Amino acid sequence: MNLAVDTQWILSGLLLALLPLFNNGMRVSPAPWLTLIPADKLSMFVVCCLRLCAVAAIAGLVLGMAGLHRTEQSRERIGHGAHIVLLLDRSSSMDNSFAGRAPNGAEESKAAAARRLLTDFVKQRQNDLIGVAEYSTSPLFVMPLTENKNAVQAAIAATATPALGFTHVSKGLGMALSFFQQQPVTGSRIVLLVSDGAAAIDHDSELKLRHWFKQQQVRLYWIFLRTAGSPGIFDKPEDSRDDNAQAMPELYLHQFFLGLGSPYQAYEAESPDALKQAIADINRLENLPMHYVERIPKQDLSATCYSMASLLLLVLLGVKFCEVKR
Amino acid sequence: MTETLFYRLPWQSSAVYPGAHPGQMIGAGQLFKRHDPLVASPDPRRIDLRASVLDPFATYRVRVYQQQSTVNIYLLADMSASMGYADKKQTLLQFLQAAANSAFNYGDKFGFIGCNEHIEHRWILPASQQSGRAPALLKQLERHRFTGTANGLQHAAAFLPSRRSLVFLLSDCHFPLSQLRNLLGSLQGHDVIPLVLWNQDEYATLPNWGLISFQDMENNATRTLFMRPALRQKLIAAYQQRQLDLKHMFRAFGSEPLFITERYSTQTINRHLQQRGA
Repeated sequence: MNLAVDTQWILSGLLLALLPLFNNGMRVSPAPWLTLIPADKLSMFVVCCLRLCAVAAIAGLVLGMAGLHRTEQSRERIGHGAHIVLLLDRSSSMDNSFAGRAPNGAEESKAAAARRLLTDFVKQRQNDLIGVAEYSTSPLFVMPLTENKNAVQAAIAATATPALGFTHVSKGLGMALSFFQQQPVTGSRIVLLVSDGAAAIDHDSELKLRHWFKQQQVRLYWIFLRTAGSPGIFDKPEDSRDDNAQAMPELYLHQFFLGLGSPYQAYEAESPDALKQAIADINRLENLPMHYVERIPKQDLSATCYSMASLLLLVLLGVKFCEVKR
Repeated sequence: MTETLFYRLPWQSSAVYPGAHPGQMIGAGQLFKRHDPLVASPDPRRIDLRASVLDPFATYRVRVYQQQSTVNIYLLADMSASMGYADKKQTLLQFLQAAANSAFNYGDKFGFIGCNEHIEHRWILPASQQSGRAPALLKQLERHRFTGTANGLQHAAAFLPSRRSLVFLLSDCHFPLSQLRNLLGSLQGHDVIPLVLWNQDEYATLPNWGLISFQDMENNATRTLFMRPALRQKLIAAYQQRQLDLKHMFRAFGSEPLFITERYSTQTINRHLQQRGA
C-alpha cells in the first residue's frame, strides 16, 4: 500500500477535518440544567459515530482533491509459462485463403484464421509474457514482451489491416530475437513464426541469426500456412536444378532452422484446423515453471474518496432530517 | 387588574404596627389574649370586674386583646440564566406584580432580592410601602436578560431583616441539593414559601424519536441525545425523582413547595397558601 498524492499542499486542508470535533453542527436547544438529564451511553455512541462520519467525510473530500492514489507496484510471481514472441508474416499473400484465392464469405483468409486462433491461444496462456512482431519488407515492432493480454490481443487484432509487399524473414527473426535482450532467462523462450512463405537468407544474416539463437536460448516454432499447390517445407525438389535457395526458399529455410542447434519444430498447416492443431501442440509443450515480475499500475483512489465522502454526507444529511425542531 | 394573593400567617408577627395578620402585640383587636394589671394596661374601659374580684392580690385586672400586625413580605428571586427558560421570567414578573400588589393591599411592606452569580444592589428592593417602586423594578427586570448561576442565593439571608418575615422563594431549584440545604438553613428564621418554577418543555413534551442537542443555559456545556421512548421515560423519571428530592428537602425545613409547571395562575398559588394556613 504505497499511497501518494498529486498535490501536497491541499493536504493542509486535513486540518479542517478537526472542525466536527469542536462543533457538531446541530441546532442547539437551551436546557435549564444538563445535570438533570440522565447519562445515556447509546446517545454518546451515536454522537461519536456522527462526529467520526463528519471527520471522515471532510478528510475524504480533501484527499480526493489532493488526488490520492496508489503508486505503481511490482510483484514477483512464479507460474507456468513462457516468453513468447509471435512473429507474424504480413506479406500480401496472407490475405488470401488457404486455397490461394481472395477470401469470399465461405472461407476465411490465412491472416484471419491465424488471428482468430492466436487470439484464443493468447487467452489460454495467462501467465505468459507475449510480444508481437511482424515483418514484410522490413520488420515491424508491434508490442514488446508484456503480461497485458488485452494489449497483445489488440496487437493481434491490428493485423487485420491490409498487408504489405514482400517477405523479409531474416530481419523479422532478428527483431523477434531482440525482444529477449535484457530479459532474465526464466521459463522457456519461444519465437512463434507464422508465415505462408519464406525467403532466402543471405550469408551475413545467417551467421548473425545462428549466433543470436544460441545466445538467447530460444526455441523456434514455425507454423507454415501452406497454400494449396505451393511447395511445402518438407517437399524434396524433383529437379536438381531447382535445388537452391531461390527456387525453394521454404525447404532451405527449414534446413537452416534445423541446423541452428536450438530446439526447432515446424508445422505445416494447410487448413484452419491444421493450424489449430499446431497451436494446441505448442500450448501443451511450453509450460515450464517461470519466475516473473507482475506490474500493478498506479491506481487512482480519489474517486473512492469522493464516493465515500458523498456516502457519509448523505448519512449526515439524513441525520439532519432526524433532528428535532423545537 | 392583578389578582391578590391571600397569604395568611400560621404564626404571629412580631411587628409593632397594626396590620392584617395575627401579631404578638396587644392592642385593638377582637381576640382576647390575657388579663393584665391596670398599671400595665391603663385602659379603665376594659377592666374585667369579675377577674378583679377573684384576684387574690385585689388588683384591677384589664382584658387585653391581640393586635393585628403587619408582616414583611420578601420575594427572594432566582435570576440565574436557567430562569430565562421559556416563560419562567414572565411568571416571575407576574408573581412579583401580584405579590407587591397584595402586600400593599394588606398594608404590609414588600421587599425584593434578586440573585444571580452575586447579589447586585440594583436588584434589591428594601421592604417598604412605597407602591411606586415595584413597578419601576418590574420595568427594569423586563429589559434585563438573566445570566449566570444562582450562587447569590446563599448570601440572600444577610439582606433580610432579623425579624421573622414571610419569604417567597421563587426559583427553578436547578442547583445542587447541598446548595439548597445551605440556603434553607440560612432562611430558618423566616417563613419560607418555596415556589418551584418548572416548564413542561424541559422534560414532558420531548419527542419520542430524533436527535436533539441540548446546551446548558448556565455553563454552556452541550449534550446530544438520541431520543427514543425509553430515554424519554428515563428523562421524565429523572425529573420526577428530582421533584421528590426537592419536596423532601423543603419539608425537612418545614415548608411545603409548590411546583408551577404550567402557566402562571394566581389561583393556584392562592390554593396553596390557603392549604398552608389551615
